[in-house]
Formats: sequence, C-alpha cells, structure tokens
Amino acid sequence: MKSLIELNNISFEYNNNKILKNINLEIKEGEKIALIGKSGAGKTTLISILNGTKSQTYGDIKIFGKNFNNLYNSHKRKIGTIWQDLRLIDDLSAEQNVNCGLLSNQNLIFTFKNLLNLSTFYKAHQCMELCQLNSGIYSKNLKNMSGGQKQRIAISRSIIQEPEILFADEPFNNLDPKLCDYLKNLFISRLNNYKIKFPNTILFSLHKIELIDGFTRVIGLKNGEISLDISRDELRDFHLKNIY
Amino acid sequence: MQKLKLNHTVISFLPILLFLPITYQIINDFHIGGLQLFLDFVKAAFTPKINNQIINISITRLNETLFIAFISWLISIIFGCFLGIITSDIFYKLIRIPVLVKYILKIILNIIRSIHELIWCVILIQIFGINISIGILAICLPFIAINAKVISEQLELVSADLIESITTLNGNNFSSLIILIWSPIIKTLKNFGFYRLECSIRSTAILGLFGIGGIGTSIFLSFQALNFNEMWTYIFSISSLILFFKLILKQVKIKRINSNFILLIICISILIIFYSIYFVINLLINNYYLSNLLLSKNIFLNFINLPDNYLKSIFDTVILSVLSSGIAISVPPFLLLISQNKYFIIILRFLAFIIRTIPPTIIILILLMFNEPSLSLAAITLGFYNAGITFKLLNDNLSEIDRNNYLAFKSIGLSNRSSWLIGLFIKQSKSYLSYCAYRSDIIFRETAIVSIVGSIGLGWQLKESLSSFAWNEVFIIVFSYSSIAIIGELLNDKIKSRLI
Repeated sequence: MKSLIELNNISFEYNNNKILKNINLEIKEGEKIALIGKSGAGKTTLISILNGTKSQTYGDIKIFGKNFNNLYNSHKRKIGTIWQDLRLIDDLSAEQNVNCGLLSNQNLIFTFKNLLNLSTFYKAHQCMELCQLNSGIYSKNLKNMSGGQKQRIAISRSIIQEPEILFADEPFNNLDPKLCDYLKNLFISRLNNYKIKFPNTILFSLHKIELIDGFTRVIGLKNGEISLDISRDELRDFHLKNIY
Repeated sequence: MQKLKLNHTVISFLPILLFLPITYQIINDFHIGGLQLFLDFVKAAFTPKINNQIINISITRLNETLFIAFISWLISIIFGCFLGIITSDIFYKLIRIPVLVKYILKIILNIIRSIHELIWCVILIQIFGINISIGILAICLPFIAINAKVISEQLELVSADLIESITTLNGNNFSSLIILIWSPIIKTLKNFGFYRLECSIRSTAILGLFGIGGIGTSIFLSFQALNFNEMWTYIFSISSLILFFKLILKQVKIKRINSNFILLIICISILIIFYSIYFVINLLINNYYLSNLLLSKNIFLNFINLPDNYLKSIFDTVILSVLSSGIAISVPPFLLLISQNKYFIIILRFLAFIIRTIPPTIIILILLMFNEPSLSLAAITLGFYNAGITFKLLNDNLSEIDRNNYLAFKSIGLSNRSSWLIGLFIKQSKSYLSYCAYRSDIIFRETAIVSIVGSIGLGWQLKESLSSFAWNEVFIIVFSYSSIAIIGELLNDKIKSRLI
C-alpha cells in the first residue's frame, strides 16, 4: 500500500504547553484509522496539523510525498475534514451548506447559483439522503435545526467533496447509536446507491469505543504522545485501560 | 471625606450641569427684538397653510426629496458594500493583495467619512454649481464611507474557525470569499440598509436648505419669506413622510429574499457602479473651474496663511460638540426621571419626534430671533436635536426591558422616580452611554450644520472662506475638521470598548 502521510517527530506547543510530543506516524492508502484518547490528549490538534490548519512547532510532515506548503491545490482538494464544532454557516440552508463541499471542484458561477438557489442540486440531495436527512429540511435554514441534523449536514458536506483522505473529529457526536453505526458502516464499506466516491483512507477521532469495530487500525494518544498503535484485531481491553 | 464614585448612571446625568453656563449665557444674550416673530412661528404650527397649490408643491417637493434620497441611498449602499468588502480583513486572508491597499483605502474612507455631507455640499456647490446631482454626490460621499465601515465591521465578526473550515475545502478563493461574506452582508443590509434610507431622507432635507432642491429648499424659502404657516405645512409633510416610512418598515419583515430579486439587484448594482464612475469622471474632466483650481493654485501646500481666528474656531467647534453631546446624553434620562406619568411621556415622545424632524438649521434661525449668536445657542440647538434621537432610543429600550426590578422596588415603598432609576435605568445606563459615545462622533460632524448658520466655529469660517474663494483656507478648515473628527472617533472607540 502507498504511503499517503508521514509525520516525523511532530511536536506542537501552545503557550509553552507541549500539546503534541514527538509524533511519528505513517498513514497508508486504504487505512481506516480510529484515533482514541482522553479529552485534551491532543486528538483535535493532531487532526488540525494533518489538514494543514495548524503548523507544527517542530518536525516534518509529508502528504502525498510533499511538504504541506508545497502541496498543489489539486492535492489539497483530496483532503476532507469533519470538524468537531461542525463549522457550518448558520444563515445558509442545509442544501447550500452541503454544496460548499463542492467549492474545490466548481467555479464562481456555481457559488452564485448555490447562494441564489438557481438550480436543483441533486448530488447534495443524494448525500443528505445517504445521511438519512429528511428532504423537508433541505431548503431550511440551519438556525432551527437539531444538533443531530447539523451533524449529518456536516457529514454530507464532507461526502459531497469526495475526498481521498478524510479526517474527522468526533463525527458521530449528537447522533443516536443506530445512526452512528449506520454512518460508520457507510464510511467503512463505501457502498452506496448513488456511486458517490467515499474516502478510501479515513482517520476518525472517536470517543465512543464501541464504534471502533470495522476500523483497521487504532491509534491511542495519551498526554500528547502516541501510546498505542496497533491493528484493530490486536486491540484488547487492557490497551484501552491504559489509554483512559 | 468619602470619594465620589462615578458609575454609568451618574455619568448619564452629570452633563446636565452644563446647563448652568449655557443658561447663563442664553439669559444674558436674550432680547425681545424677534419675540413677536417667534410667537408667530409657534402660532403658525397650529394653523399650517393648506390649499391645493401648497399640497401640490409639497407633493412635488417630497417627490424630489425622495428621488435624491433614494438615489443617494442606492449608490451609497452599492459602493459601501463593495468598499466594505475590500477593506475587511477576511478579503485579504483569501485574496492575495498587499494589505497596504486596505490601510490606504481605510485612511481615505475615514477622511471622507469624517466630513459631514453639508460640508461636502457647500464645497461641491461652490465648484460645480447648484444641481440635484451635486446634492446626490454630497450625500453619497460620506454615506459610502459610513456604509463601508459598517459592512467591514460586520465582516470582521465572521469567525476564524469558519474561515478555516471553508478554506480547507480548497475552493476558488473568490468562491470561498463569497460563501463567507454572503450571509453577513445580507443580514447587515436587512437590518441597517433601510435605516440608512431614513438617514438619507433627513440629510436630503437638510441639504435642501442650502439649495439642492426638495422639501428642504421649500422650508428655507418660506422661512426666509417669514411665511411660517406655509413652512409648517412643509415640515409636517416631511414628518409625515418619515413617519409613514417608519410604519412601513415596522410592518415589512423580510424573512427570505427571492433569489431572482437578488440577481436583479446585482445587475442593477453593476450598472449603477459603471454609470456613477462615468458620471464622476465626466464631472471632473469637464469642469474647467476645478482643473484651473487644482493646476493654478498650490492649495494643498499653502499652510502659512491660516484663516483669521483659526485656533478660536477649532476651540469653539470642540467646545460646541462637547456641550451638545452633554445635552444629548443627559436631557433624555433627566426628562424621563422627572416625568413619571404616562401622558407626559407621550407628550415628550411627540416633542422628540418634532425636534428630530425640524432641521437644526431652522431651529437655530428661530432661536436667533430672540438671542445673540453664541456657542451656547448653537449647543442648545444641536444638543436638543440629538437629544430627540437619544430620547427615542432610551425610551424604546426601557420599554423593552424586564420591569420586575422596578415593580419589586415599588412594592417595598420606593417612589416612582427612585424605582425607575434603580429598577430600570441602571440596567440600561451602560448600553445607553455606549450609544451616546457613538452619537457624539455624529454630533461633532453635525457641528457643521449649526455653525455655518450660527456664526460660530469652523463651519462659519468655512462659509466665509468659500464665499471669498480662499481655497487654501477651505483646504485647511476641511483638513482640521477631518483631523478632529478622526481623533474624536478614536477617543470614543476607547470609551465604547471600555463600556462594552
């Protein structure tokens, strides 16, 4: 399998606090990674460094074999993120928010069409349908929606982007166990009726341990350091006790 | 001795003490020369002239006013939006243009904004002559800068997290920018845009007094002819227009804007931008007076020949704005405190509305009927005109807040006034003072209106210099106005940030 991401001795400091310490990690194509750890262990920071929104204090990252700063836009477009705080635009409708995921592949005219509702966006509808969102809310403003609906809109926004790698920070927050399972399986199996290309490589930060079934690899963070990096099959209870 | 501790409530009332020197001067300068004229003016308010001819003139003049106000509003909103976007931080985060451009634009816009539309009007009239398009231009210049500031401030509120999340989608930079600014701009235009139309109507009425047309011109002409009955008809008609306009705005609640309508607005905006640019370029190229002025005289560098009484004029202007601000801050809470009666408050609301509607130029001319021109007279005029505005704001806010504390204090036997003060006003005093700090910026700019007529300060000096075509003096005065306004604004920003 091709190596997509390489992290060498990555450290991140904030206000003289070491959030991440000497992280060495290699992510290969097709891996489904579950990132676990206590709150404050550095999971969100690691994801922010991986998607390029935070710069490491020390160390070196290579994505698609290139330094992040040297990545072409065509490479960056292959990376998607689902944020813990969702980061949706409250004043836009569900459909408009989902369409924002297409920004990387579309031109300015599409943006105006989206904002002015000038056409029907079937792909956005398909992604929302996959996330089991009711068609009645497609054109509704986000302000009056529940946490679960917003969560699924954020997931739909990442699906429509069709990235090759997807980083997700607590993507199943606010969802009931049945939906969590359904959506997780969608990302693991990548099978759907609409031929939407799901990301082949995923790294999901998870708090609900019961969701790690189906992932191929489990990485555990403790006090900013990788204290666990094994395949799902090797994972035992004592590993988890050590992390939490 | 215990040290006096100032809090927001005390600060709101304290400026009432300014009335001591002001009243002293006004009593001292009082004369009965024009008292009969003043009584005629007051009597005429109850017997406005109503006949077919006056009604026809009123309608024609109101149409003119609306036309000027609407066009100025439209242009200033369109250019304001555009400049607001390109002076916001978010623009430079997404579009690779040197940030220096933003700073240069902001400085230019701050200078344009710091000069009141009336000053722009008198200068432009002197250069280009009187016509409606000059009135529109005079209103547009500061209004564009004001709108740009508001839009840019609203765009600063877009969270860094949201910017980060959209930029990580790696779309076209312009698309990302439009996605991020779309909602804040639509929201600002919905909340603030129509209020600016009302401001535009008021400004058109004021500039009308200086000849650009509309109802203001009729008010001034009938005042000059001492035809007060006719003048009141015009004042009532513009008041009715503003009132009608406000009622409509209260009824209209825009929930969702039709996309075709937005598309139409975008097309019209593009046309207006091109036409406006063409108009201004044409105006500048074809005006020989302006070209001669700029080429033949070194007006920008001749700082040696300061106007007579230059420093005194600056001092007077600063004192005038301090006194007027003091009146505008302290009068509304003081009147509400002493008038704990429903009917009295209704009368106060009516008076506040009337005083907001009569242009301050007319108010000062009326007061000059029985008083000498003085700093106090100008301060009373400008102070009360603005008190009409601060009164409305305070009264509206007080009627919206929870009255439980007020009722609790009343139930334990406190008087109405004490309960009002500590149960209601104390809650509002901070936000009221914060608004007043913003208002005092406007008051400084408005000193131009009263000082041009009231023989006081820089405005009067400007009028003198303009009438003698002393362009170097005009430049120095405008520069001074702008500098003081910008310094005042910086000080007020500090006060506001401490209050908020």
